[in-house]
Amino acid sequence: MNLWRDIKGTLQPFWITLGYLFKKPVTIQYPEEKRTPPPRYRARIVLTRNPDGTERCVACQLCSAACPVDCISMQAAEDGDGRRYAGWFRINFARCIFCGLCAEACPTMAIQTTPDYEICNRDLLKLVQEKEDLLIDGCGKDMEYNYYEHAGIGVANERGGNEDEYGPVDPKALVP
Amino acid sequence: MPKLTIDNLEVTVPEGINVLEAARELDIIIPHFCYHEALGSVGSCRLCAMMFVDGPVKGLQMACMIQAQDGMVVSSTDPDAIELREHVIEWAMTNHPHDCPVCDEGGECQLQEMTVAGGHGVRRYSGKKCTFTNQNLGPFVQQEMNRCITCYRCVRTYRDYCGGTDYGVFGSRNRIQYARFREGALESPFSGNIIDACPTGVLTSKPFRFKTRLWDLQEAPSICPHCSLGCATVPGGRYREVQRVKAGINRETNGFFICDRGRFGYDHVNHPERPRQGRLDGQPVTVNAALLAAREQVTAIASKHGPDSVAFLGSSRSSFEASVLLHDWAKATGSQQLVFEAHQGRDRAARTLTAQLGKHVRSQEELRQSDLVILFGADPLAEGPMLALAIRQAVRNGGKVVVIDPRPVELPCAASYLPLSPEKLPEVLVALGKKDFNAFEADERVLLESLVEQLKSAQRPVLIGGADLLGGKGVQALCAAAEKFTSDERSVGVITLLAGPNSYGGALLAGDGPDFDSILDAVQEGTVRALVCLESDPFREARDPARAHAALGHLELLVSFDSTPNLAAQRADIFLPTRANAEMAGSYVNNEGRLQAFMPVIDPGVPIRETGAGNHPPREFFQITPGSSPEADWLLLAGLLERELDLVGLRESIEKDHPPFAGLSSIAAETTGVRLTAQGTLPPAEEQELPHAADSEALTLMAITGQIGSCWLAHLSSPLAATEPQPYVILHPELAAELNLAADERARLTTHFGHCHIVIRTDEKMLKSLILVPQLWDTALEGMVPGGMLDCRLEKEAQR
Repeated sequence: MNLWRDIKGTLQPFWITLGYLFKKPVTIQYPEEKRTPPPRYRARIVLTRNPDGTERCVACQLCSAACPVDCISMQAAEDGDGRRYAGWFRINFARCIFCGLCAEACPTMAIQTTPDYEICNRDLLKLVQEKEDLLIDGCGKDMEYNYYEHAGIGVANERGGNEDEYGPVDPKALVP
Repeated sequence: MPKLTIDNLEVTVPEGINVLEAARELDIIIPHFCYHEALGSVGSCRLCAMMFVDGPVKGLQMACMIQAQDGMVVSSTDPDAIELREHVIEWAMTNHPHDCPVCDEGGECQLQEMTVAGGHGVRRYSGKKCTFTNQNLGPFVQQEMNRCITCYRCVRTYRDYCGGTDYGVFGSRNRIQYARFREGALESPFSGNIIDACPTGVLTSKPFRFKTRLWDLQEAPSICPHCSLGCATVPGGRYREVQRVKAGINRETNGFFICDRGRFGYDHVNHPERPRQGRLDGQPVTVNAALLAAREQVTAIASKHGPDSVAFLGSSRSSFEASVLLHDWAKATGSQQLVFEAHQGRDRAARTLTAQLGKHVRSQEELRQSDLVILFGADPLAEGPMLALAIRQAVRNGGKVVVIDPRPVELPCAASYLPLSPEKLPEVLVALGKKDFNAFEADERVLLESLVEQLKSAQRPVLIGGADLLGGKGVQALCAAAEKFTSDERSVGVITLLAGPNSYGGALLAGDGPDFDSILDAVQEGTVRALVCLESDPFREARDPARAHAALGHLELLVSFDSTPNLAAQRADIFLPTRANAEMAGSYVNNEGRLQAFMPVIDPGVPIRETGAGNHPPREFFQITPGSSPEADWLLLAGLLERELDLVGLRESIEKDHPPFAGLSSIAAETTGVRLTAQGTLPPAEEQELPHAADSEALTLMAITGQIGSCWLAHLSSPLAATEPQPYVILHPELAAELNLAADERARLTTHFGHCHIVIRTDEKMLKSLILVPQLWDTALEGMVPGGMLDCRLEKEAQR
């Protein structure tokens, strides 16, 4: 009976292969044809802006701390009004493994992954991108959030001017 | 020795410590905010709750407020204790803003850790938060009052421990604000300690603002290079620059705190003009080429003109290992011309101290326990700020302080003052021993006589001297006075403030060699033709810079090893770049002979801030880090002398060659250090006085060390630049009135250096007949080297 099993084992794969000849192929002719990945696809990383157009990134270093391959580096700086922002911000896409941990760690929704996967380059230096390359003119996936309006240290709003705050106290007042 | 049970583990602890500390002995960390070993317990944060199950105390109690007693059974994991802790954390967080991403404390925030440890994740309180207005507290401390959890640590540090008076607490209940009465810079020279003390981000460092998170910072235990006290520090660096310094813990020296000079004086490492390249006859060369040339040319001159034609000048800020190697190099050359301090008075003071200190040696910790402190010509805030803090602790423990000094010595505590001219300081020490005060005025006599009585009755008296004013003669008199008052029951302690972190180590090696002034004479005569400077600047540090300039022009060869852009480095025929203290391992011997090791924090290199011109790092990549050629001073000398090139081997071989330095090979960083038993040798006699023109109409000007930003390394540090004053002189209000001058007025000061414009300051505590002028680098007052007296004229500036 082993003979029968052997004949079946030889012919059946050919039959399956033959069957696929008449089915629609799953591969596409890239780059002539391009696939649209789902919106939550993790490819090119961008820095987004607040709804009012200011930079969202506060250079808190959480993304660079979360990054398992250490491809993010930055230096925080201070604006005239006490706003913390990224003086410079660099992602080395040659190292990036697109794990998305940076976007998960980001407390201000600044760093986000996008479905744009076409970032290959033979020149490694072109994969080292600076803040001006990363910053986009939009809010990305969250159209509302503005971190400084909730921070409560008087950068976007007056001190004590947030919805959940009383105005600054007068410690020298005599009222008990 | 009470024996108690904590979390089912038995522990025997010393008498008098609290249960929180007892738990720490078992490596059980009880969460706490307000407790601090140096500040004591107040029990205000309510976080260290523990359940006292059995024994003399029962129930839920604050661990920091209960003394460990025999038979206690305590649980830190009791459900009630855990629940209380959770509530306390939630409560501390009700008004806390939502700003951890932009807070500099993030990553090293005790509140953040306790919140996570307490399991508080979701805010339940839906009411509004209290907010506060911030104050600008000057160049060092950044305030963000909204983050405050009212633990009172800052006030207890600033007011109680450091003796500051201009920062305190206002308001009541949820309006408590920690602030100055009026906005302005914090006045205490120890203000930076409140940054370390604050458990959250209310008080953060302004120079370090938004620079780096703790997890990105390279840190290592180090020793402060700014004065001779050898305080433990923890510098932190990133992107090839040192960015901050935190206080280290050494219970024998600084305890838990450091001064602002040590904390903000790190920037000399990143100085933009720092020489980072070897140089030979004006041409940049590799370090190896410069090293070979140095050895060749020094040997050539020594063999042509005799070994004594080469002089070696060490310094108080090079490592002990390098100092030993310089000594060995001089010995190998056969030269007797070896000295470790360009300033004659400081050199003699240090050598005398190493020869005569003996059993009178006292540490800062012993000073904190002292009951009588007498300062003879010592100004701690200028010459060793942490000593002032130790004196304050002595006063808080019931001690008394007497200051005998021509200067208005500021101390963060109460003291009695006796202004005496600097020549009289050694005399007063001799007179104290003999109890013969005929040479003094009546009112001076009263104080001195009572001082003798106090010295006899005090249990732990300490005499403090300063190298600048006392010189060799004065330190000798100080040690003699201590010997005189030492009885069988107790000995009198001596602490002397020296010039730099390794003054004592250099002095141990100097032996009875000549002082630098006699080397200058030899250079002038032409017998010394080559000078090797190890991290020293004879052009500026010699007691008479004008004489040094004139003499050193005759040199055939000037070799300089340095890490700062000083004059010797600029003028050297052969220059070798050395590493700064934060960039190398090594050791220093502090002013009590304590040998302490330090570790490298960063590797040398031009800071990324500079290579990127403030923007992102350059988009070009090299195999070698720019500006990375500086090497440790001991490594350069070891290479030159063909000695061991690793620190362990080198220390072992030094120990073998120099038996008095036993213990060198076993020292480790982050320990209390080893007190060396080695004894120095007295310097040769005859101390030269500075030429003092006998002009009866002229006023006497005395140069002093200014406060905080005035030493060379501090001057190169940009965070301290804001505290560097305009050129000024200090005089007694009566003398000012005689000269028709008033405080804050501008005046013209005339000395043999020329004219300069200064601001008048007055102080009633100082000697009436003197005018004091600080040495201020890169100003007209640069030549005013402390320890010298000059004739001067002081006139009101003509009104324009």
